[in-house]
Amino acid sequence: MMRAYLLVPEALVAGTALLLLVAGRLGYLPRSWRGRLPGAVAAVVVVALIVELWAGGTLASLFGGGFVQDRFALFAKAAVLLTLVAAIAVPDWSAEDSVHVGLAMILFAGFGVMVVASAGDFVPLWAGLELAGACGVALVGVRRPDLGLRLLLAGGIATALFAIGFAFVYATTGAADLASARLVMAREGPTLPLAIPVLLLLGGLAVRAGLAPFHLASVPSSLGASPVGSGILLGLVAAAALLAAIKIAALLSPSPETLSVYLEVVAAVAMVGGGAAALGVRAPRARLAYLAVGQVGWVAAGLSTHYLSGLGGALFLVGAFMLAATCGPAILGAAEGGEASLAGLGALRPVRALGIALVFLSLAGAPPLAGFFGEFAVAAALAQGGHFGLLAMGLVGSVLSLVAALGTLRVLYLQSAPEEARRAAGVAPGLRFISSAGAVLVCFVMVAYGAFANPILGLAYQGAEALGLR
Amino acid sequence: MNAVVAAIHAASPTPAPITVPGSGIFQTSLLLSLLVWAPVLVAGLIAVLPNPRGRFDALIKQIAFFTNIGLLFILWIAYNQFQNFLSTVQYEEKVSWLPAIGAVYHLGIDGPGLVMLILSGIVALASVLASWGVREQVRSYFCLLLLTEACVNGAVVAHDMFVLLLFWGAATIPLALLVLGWGGPRREAAAWRLAAYWGLGTIALLVATLALYSAAGGKSFDMDVLLRVPVAPRVQLVAGLALIVAAATRLPLFPFHGWVRDLYSQAPVGVSVVIAGVSTRLGAYVLLRLLIGSQPIGAQLLSPLLALMAAATVIYAGLVVLRMTDLRRVAAYLTMVPGAVTVLGLAALSPLAIGGSVLSLFSGGLAAALMVGVCATLADRAQTGNLMVMKGLAPRMPNLTWLTVLAVLGLLGLPLMASFPAEMMTFFGAFKNQPLFAFAVVGGLAIVGASLAVILHGVLFGTPNPDAPGVSDASSGEKWFLGVLAGALLWVGMFPGGPKLPGTDTPIFDPGLVNAMAAGITEMAAPYAAK
Repeated sequence: MMRAYLLVPEALVAGTALLLLVAGRLGYLPRSWRGRLPGAVAAVVVVALIVELWAGGTLASLFGGGFVQDRFALFAKAAVLLTLVAAIAVPDWSAEDSVHVGLAMILFAGFGVMVVASAGDFVPLWAGLELAGACGVALVGVRRPDLGLRLLLAGGIATALFAIGFAFVYATTGAADLASARLVMAREGPTLPLAIPVLLLLGGLAVRAGLAPFHLASVPSSLGASPVGSGILLGLVAAAALLAAIKIAALLSPSPETLSVYLEVVAAVAMVGGGAAALGVRAPRARLAYLAVGQVGWVAAGLSTHYLSGLGGALFLVGAFMLAATCGPAILGAAEGGEASLAGLGALRPVRALGIALVFLSLAGAPPLAGFFGEFAVAAALAQGGHFGLLAMGLVGSVLSLVAALGTLRVLYLQSAPEEARRAAGVAPGLRFISSAGAVLVCFVMVAYGAFANPILGLAYQGAEALGLR
Repeated sequence: MNAVVAAIHAASPTPAPITVPGSGIFQTSLLLSLLVWAPVLVAGLIAVLPNPRGRFDALIKQIAFFTNIGLLFILWIAYNQFQNFLSTVQYEEKVSWLPAIGAVYHLGIDGPGLVMLILSGIVALASVLASWGVREQVRSYFCLLLLTEACVNGAVVAHDMFVLLLFWGAATIPLALLVLGWGGPRREAAAWRLAAYWGLGTIALLVATLALYSAAGGKSFDMDVLLRVPVAPRVQLVAGLALIVAAATRLPLFPFHGWVRDLYSQAPVGVSVVIAGVSTRLGAYVLLRLLIGSQPIGAQLLSPLLALMAAATVIYAGLVVLRMTDLRRVAAYLTMVPGAVTVLGLAALSPLAIGGSVLSLFSGGLAAALMVGVCATLADRAQTGNLMVMKGLAPRMPNLTWLTVLAVLGLLGLPLMASFPAEMMTFFGAFKNQPLFAFAVVGGLAIVGASLAVILHGVLFGTPNPDAPGVSDASSGEKWFLGVLAGALLWVGMFPGGPKLPGTDTPIFDPGLVNAMAAGITEMAAPYAAK
């Protein structure tokens, strides 16, 4: 009975996105509706989230194993739907180039992440990634065609690497579905013909996730995009790549030698490089992007452990990361002009300032927020496995990130707003109700992630177990 | 010397628990959570309170003040209900939190924990009083101050390493923001140094935690498990070194003291008081609980290093103070001295010295807070901190002069001050096991005393400088906050075992800090009792 509802969340998200695109293109959306559209779409996503939480516990496999509903899918899809609700509610949609295109793209990107989360073989894994990435390219290209082109090129390289790696793995194992490929890997052990495609696969994912030093396309593109576009790039596309990476790491767990060293190096560079770069820039959007890079490095560090607690911790962290990185640019909103545009925001716009502060601190891994709990779960897994060198690099990166985040907090709360900003604040409307509600939701999740960490982390561990890890 | 120590041991067997009149009238299992989360809730309340153009600034200050009075009342209940000389953790709260990684919301205190909580309560109240003159962004200031208090209390009562790390690390954020927002002209450098050093300390504590966690099988962060599993000496050594770095960045100890000078000379008085009084004491508390109390082999191996750092700190502080020309910087270096004495007691690894260290957590915190507060107030009231300019202030500042003298007495550990019994116990214990370093610390204290005598003679009793700016005595608010600190030092100095009903052994309303702090110390010191 429940199986009938399993595809309802995907159907609602993709159907709404398609409807928005078609209606917008054909001019069926009156101007008077546009103000209410984000609220209505967020309500649809809330319904999808409720259905997912209600029916998602059912274990099932559809489309000949291409779609798998397990605890991993439940965790990841619930996280992405929650992120979508907040990411649709928070932005100032009047600052976007097109409301219906923006809404459709964020829904399609979320749908892509959901496809990755439920993927039972390489084809939907690849398709979901491509869909999420294409949405990012589309939104960046609308505002900055040059950056869109650059992102398209980087995406093409990622796609090529992933597709070649996938083809090699298929050739090596003779299986395209993840479960069968894992069985073959366990039987045959690590070999050079396997290590090469794995390197290509992970390289493709690293480019998609914006892992340093492969962030050179995604970060500049995110700086030129609209807030929603930036959120898709930094959050949803990276999350799709990370979820795919978790599935591939689980697939390769019988032969950890094929990926561990590679992941350790990339994780170390991303953690320290992300923190250092965040410290080195002052523009809020750029700092947010680099903090996100640093946290993606922590996820990669969790994957390098190749056992249950590491991958469970990484999945737990992806949930926190996805929300912060997707909603962060939208909460920053018009703060694209530089650090000065945030001065005194704590007094002028307390809810928005709190949202910005919590997002920055969470991405920096500051206690007691969502990011800290996720990074700590990964750190505990690293300690269990004796990866003390990587742990030390992560800690250095976290300190750099924390100092960078504190710099933004200082501007938010301890600097006085310029007089003209005060005057503008006196006449300009504050956040609309739905934006405030979205910002409050983000703040609540950032804080409550720790308080309710037990069920969330438990589900993440079950998710890792569902991938065959023990 | 051995005979003296033996006599002290013989004369001080573990007494039986004392029943205090009135105990048992109030029972709650959420007492410690209340001490941690009530300030957070009040901070949240203040944060959402509308405050157009600072109209409710006074109300916000009053809310912070009465919150601290309320917390002190809860602490007073905890103090009176506390079972003295009991070996187990009391007021325990244990809730499963993250079973997947083995983290538990586990709170509980023993004697040293209670001492730290009382110190935190007194210093927090003094800090609010010292901050009464804050005029800018009052709401943010008191929010951050209350969050700091919550973090300190949380770190003290944590009985799970994950919870301890959470609060230990979180305490840095509000303090750094307080310095950044309300500090002097060089506040940025001061705040970043604080964040960097304390961040390093947090990393070191995390390394120690994860080393122990890994060695204990990676199942639990609960101290009941983590600190009782036998761990290889190599791991104890690594974890011990990391703990020493963590403690040394907080206390601070030489050579991890780089944040001290700028911070105390730039931070607002109320923030300096809270940092010197209690936040830094957490360093010694963590050493006591995690190294001395649970890693005996690591402690034995590392005790000479600890004693060396303590001696180097006191001598360094004494010598640097001689060269200083700014009173607030003098105070900054002087705050390093009580922490070093505490660490010397821990390094001595004898029951008597460990007891002295616990008492010096309290007395040293008060003395350091008083010294920082007095010097900042003197500099404020004299409109300069320059020692070349500040001369002969005593006739024009009689109240501040008395308070300064009390601060000096408290810092040096002279009779009638709480630091006197603490230093006596520490030195008696230390002269046996660490004679060289104990003499070095005493020598350092002599240098500190001589430096202070030279400086204060000029500042207070020298010939007045006719070109100096005008001076005024302490305001009533300043007298109150300094008086609270001095009063607590005097009270425990005069009644370390609590005042008794005449002719009996029955305490009146105060069971005595020395009695309360003894709970748990015997067990911590048991591995070293033969020494």
